[in-house]
Amino acid sequence: MPGNIRSVSFVVLVCLLFCSRLTSVGATPICTNAHAGCHVLSLSNLFDRVIQHSARMHGISNDLHSEFEQYFLPSRNQIGRVSRNCHTSTILTPNGKENAQKMAREELTEVILKLLVAWRDPLWHFHHSMAHYDDFNNFSSNKALEMSDMVHELRKGVEKVAEKMQVLGITSNTVNSLTSPEALLPSESAEWRLMKDYDLLYCFRRDSNKVQNYLKILKCRIVPEHGC
Amino acid sequence: MKKAVELVLLLLLLFFTPHIMGKRYSPPGKPTLTRCRSPEKETFTCWWEPGSDGGLPTTHALYYRKESSERVYECPDYHTAGENSCFFNKNDTSIWVNYNITVVATNTLGSAFSDPVDVDVVYIVKPNPPEKQTVTIMEDKGWPFLRVSWEPPQKADTRSGWITLIYELRVKLEEENEWEMHLAGHQKTFNIFSLRSGGKYLVEVRCKPDHGFWSEWSSTSYIKVPDYFHREKSVWILLTIFSAFIFLILTWLLHMNSRSLKNCILPPVPGPKIKGFDNQLLKNGKSDEIFSALMVSNFPPTTSSNYEDLLVEYLEVYVPVEQELMQEESKDLHGGCLKCERSTSDSDSGRGSCDSHTLLMDKCGETKEEGRHTDRASSRMLTEAQRHQKGWEKDTLTYAHGDMVSPDMSNGRVKTWPSVFSPLPQYSSNPLDKQSSLEMAKQHCLSTSSCLTQPGHSTKEALGPSNWDFCLGNKQPHLLHPQTQVGRQLQAHSEVNISNIGRKQAPAGLQSPALRSTEYVEVQRVNEEDLVLLQPVVSGCGRIEGYPQMPKGKDYSKVKGVDSDNMLLLQREVMEEDWWTGNCYTSSTVNTTQKPTACIHTAMPVQGDMALAMNGYVDTATMCTLPTC
Repeated sequence: MPGNIRSVSFVVLVCLLFCSRLTSVGATPICTNAHAGCHVLSLSNLFDRVIQHSARMHGISNDLHSEFEQYFLPSRNQIGRVSRNCHTSTILTPNGKENAQKMAREELTEVILKLLVAWRDPLWHFHHSMAHYDDFNNFSSNKALEMSDMVHELRKGVEKVAEKMQVLGITSNTVNSLTSPEALLPSESAEWRLMKDYDLLYCFRRDSNKVQNYLKILKCRIVPEHGC
Repeated sequence: MKKAVELVLLLLLLFFTPHIMGKRYSPPGKPTLTRCRSPEKETFTCWWEPGSDGGLPTTHALYYRKESSERVYECPDYHTAGENSCFFNKNDTSIWVNYNITVVATNTLGSAFSDPVDVDVVYIVKPNPPEKQTVTIMEDKGWPFLRVSWEPPQKADTRSGWITLIYELRVKLEEENEWEMHLAGHQKTFNIFSLRSGGKYLVEVRCKPDHGFWSEWSSTSYIKVPDYFHREKSVWILLTIFSAFIFLILTWLLHMNSRSLKNCILPPVPGPKIKGFDNQLLKNGKSDEIFSALMVSNFPPTTSSNYEDLLVEYLEVYVPVEQELMQEESKDLHGGCLKCERSTSDSDSGRGSCDSHTLLMDKCGETKEEGRHTDRASSRMLTEAQRHQKGWEKDTLTYAHGDMVSPDMSNGRVKTWPSVFSPLPQYSSNPLDKQSSLEMAKQHCLSTSSCLTQPGHSTKEALGPSNWDFCLGNKQPHLLHPQTQVGRQLQAHSEVNISNIGRKQAPAGLQSPALRSTEYVEVQRVNEEDLVLLQPVVSGCGRIEGYPQMPKGKDYSKVKGVDSDNMLLLQREVMEEDWWTGNCYTSSTVNTTQKPTACIHTAMPVQGDMALAMNGYVDTATMCTLPTC
């Protein structure tokens, strides 16, 4: 009898392990090599997903910004704010349509990635600093957390898009420098710590808009079939 | 001195003249920036509202500073966008850059600065309304719908993805006040369903960038929906006709069955009704009129009638003394019959109540051969009985006769006298003969016995068959079979009716015994010779139970004459012989009577001191004492 119980329990354990392994797979993995057996997403589809993601991200940042404005800054004196620069101002971003259209696809993709990378740490810290504000409700705190997660996810997505473009031959291989974008910003990492929370939100709102817009431009330039 | 004073005065005048005149110059008031708008996220315009000008010509200037630099720029274009505006062209516009804009109003006396405003072009985009709007009518399985299509505004560059717009349209009927809004999203076409047939619609479209302001509504498009309702109309017409048809049918059915329905839903309430009783008279309150109405005009009958004729109608039944006695006893039976008849013949009260006595009447009706006649007779009986319910005690036979016979003679219906009348033979106050009254009484007995529902009465039982049997005769031999008392009596009654018919038709007076094969009992009058003969008409068989028709003690004989030997010659034997041929008497009774006749036939000398009957009849019984007998 005890032998039987042991064997049964062993089998059950094995089964559980396997089941957990299976469930942890999650969504179908995206195959960039277009090998057989993988579910391949088209570039257009990828772009749409990424654009949607960035739109959502911008929406959240907009909401947080307006909430902050409501609670913490009754005076609309914005002269002081202008003086402070965003830590991402060093990144050269096109400020107009022509500038953006003149930019190469690779450059534009790089700018996007740089922006996304630059905001990963500050948002993380911002989320933690939300706890200090008693006036803020939990909903806003959750938004901050969601925002930081989104930046992370968006960056991954854009990287995938870049890979796809490379594979498809749309972009040249000069994007390889993006493999380690963190290397670009170690010296500037301290700057964002000096910024106030409000300024952080203000800067991030603008940067998320930039990302969204750049992605749209890229999409309509590369895959103009739908919605352009 | 004087000059200095004058100079001072002049200066003062000059200085103060403007004040005296009422004009005041002041530095300009503070202008305010009202709004800044960018139609396509490539250029933008700012408008301001100038303050008071202070009476002097003032100029306005817009200065702006970009986000990260301290360099102040002045507005490059004051005129393109109109008065009090500043237009920033593409070269001067930077997106995602914070502009700090200030307007300065300047006049000779001073200048005024407006409050600075921070502007980021991304958030002030208000596109132009959509262009090239078209509305067309299309059909989906016969049902029309509107298809609205449009183009984004020309200036907004959506093709490169620089701007993404979402659209919204609104629709309303021409006569309505409220618009129906529809959000179209990113698409540039939209379908509108559920249109009113023949209606005129107005359609407008507008757009908005992701983060910006709604544009103005586009120019209105008018569209008229064609009439597609005619098909619906035909359906409605068909429905109306169909429903009207069904309604007519239902109405007709209701009309046909209105009476039965009325009885079903609202059953008639039985109310007391008295024949001849007028409610209106009662309401009027004149009692004389009311009660006079109750009185029937021809009751009690006052018309004189030939009683002799009336007598013809009646059956003469000789009832022996014993039977007379029983008659007295059977009075209560008559009462019962009365009741029976009364209960069944109450035609004036509310119908619907079924009485078991009607069963009796039905049997009366069934067994009648000449159905209709007898029915009429019974109904006649009933009506008469009913009519004379109240007054039967008072009425005499005379009245009864008159009432009964006179109307019936006219139409030939069967006459039966109503059994309501008391068969008491004591009604001798009338001019009729006693015998007639007796006959009446007998007839009463007969008729009443038919209605009697008490078969157990022995006397009646005795009465009934004895009275009836001889008359029934061979006509209906089946009647002699054992039957229920009631049935036999009913049959007898029916026969009585039939006989009455026969009687009526026959001439009054003599009747031969063998006149008919029916069971009539011939009624003979009392002629001058004072001879009353009872003649059994029936020639067939029959039996007599109980009493013979001729009572024992009443053997009448007619004295033919007295011969030379002083012998009474009785006629009786001759007649008896005639009689005996056709009668149904049992031999026993015959024997008893025959014996004296035999004696008579031997022509025995009659003693002179032989007892003679009062009227010439010889008591044969005494003759038997003769030795030869």
